[in-house]
Amino acid sequence: MTENRDKDVVADCLEELKSHLGEAASEAAPTLDGIFTIEVQPSAIIESLNFLRDHLEGDFDMLTDLTAVDWMNYPETGERFEVVYLLCSTKSNHRVRVKCRLGETGPRVASATAVFKGAEWLEREVWDLFGIRFDGHPDLRRIMLWEDFEGHPLRKDFPTRGYNPVERTPET
Amino acid sequence: MGIETVFGPGFITTTLDKVVNWGRRWSLYPIPYGTACCGIELMAALASRFDLARYGAEAIRFSPRQCDLMIVAGTINHKMTPVLKRIYDQMSEPKWVIAMGACASAGGPFDSYAVLQGIDRIIPVDVYVPGCPPRPEALLQAVMKIQEKVDKETVLDRK
Repeated sequence: MTENRDKDVVADCLEELKSHLGEAASEAAPTLDGIFTIEVQPSAIIESLNFLRDHLEGDFDMLTDLTAVDWMNYPETGERFEVVYLLCSTKSNHRVRVKCRLGETGPRVASATAVFKGAEWLEREVWDLFGIRFDGHPDLRRIMLWEDFEGHPLRKDFPTRGYNPVERTPET
Repeated sequence: MGIETVFGPGFITTTLDKVVNWGRRWSLYPIPYGTACCGIELMAALASRFDLARYGAEAIRFSPRQCDLMIVAGTINHKMTPVLKRIYDQMSEPKWVIAMGACASAGGPFDSYAVLQGIDRIIPVDVYVPGCPPRPEALLQAVMKIQEKVDKETVLDRK
């Protein structure tokens, strides 16, 4: 029973968010793992995060993770890149997932650091590995790879050995 | 029997090379460069069951200046290469290097943009240990190979 009530709380939250955003949000529905997921327009991402953090009963006050998906091989699903925000409520332990889609050329979205300070390194990681830029990020540098590395390795079109592979010793 | 008879008991003659190499071979000071599972096997080789002390190489030192044997145990990625090179350069001569395991020897299973395909691309390697990871016995044999190499050194000129 409790579980059902919890689900209702999250569903209500997202319903409110959807009516707040209007056209910019999709229907919210739980995915296979049971976490409610809502897709919003990139332009509405900051507003969504702010809304979920401050205005709703769930009070999603923690950004658990921020990551991205490259859907290059599935063009029928929409734009190529998808940025995923995982939020958690430290009070009720509710979780929610917010997503937005970005186009192939020069993907960029507003930085979530304005809402969650902890997004800083997560966004640097997404920039490093997917090449998605975050507008308004205080220090958008590579975080794992070295500075003059070429390319973004988690993109599906990145060659496994990189763009400048080291020469291999020929077989003798 | 030779010149010892002239001086009486308490004297022996030998060559300086032999004495110095005898000292070096039984007192190798390894610096561990353990970055992956090979590091665990390296620790096992040092512990009681395998006991690297039997070869005089149990005194691990974490300062490169105090060491003469570098054991690179684990995957080395490109971002780490300047560090590895620098630590190697900081070791004083004479010095030896063991590339322990497939990763350190040739990149191992990681044929990727991030991983150095063998440490011999940046530092000279004396002994390669195959295995993923190698068992401690394999490392013991590598140390014995290093000892054989030490025996061929001369104090005058390192070859």
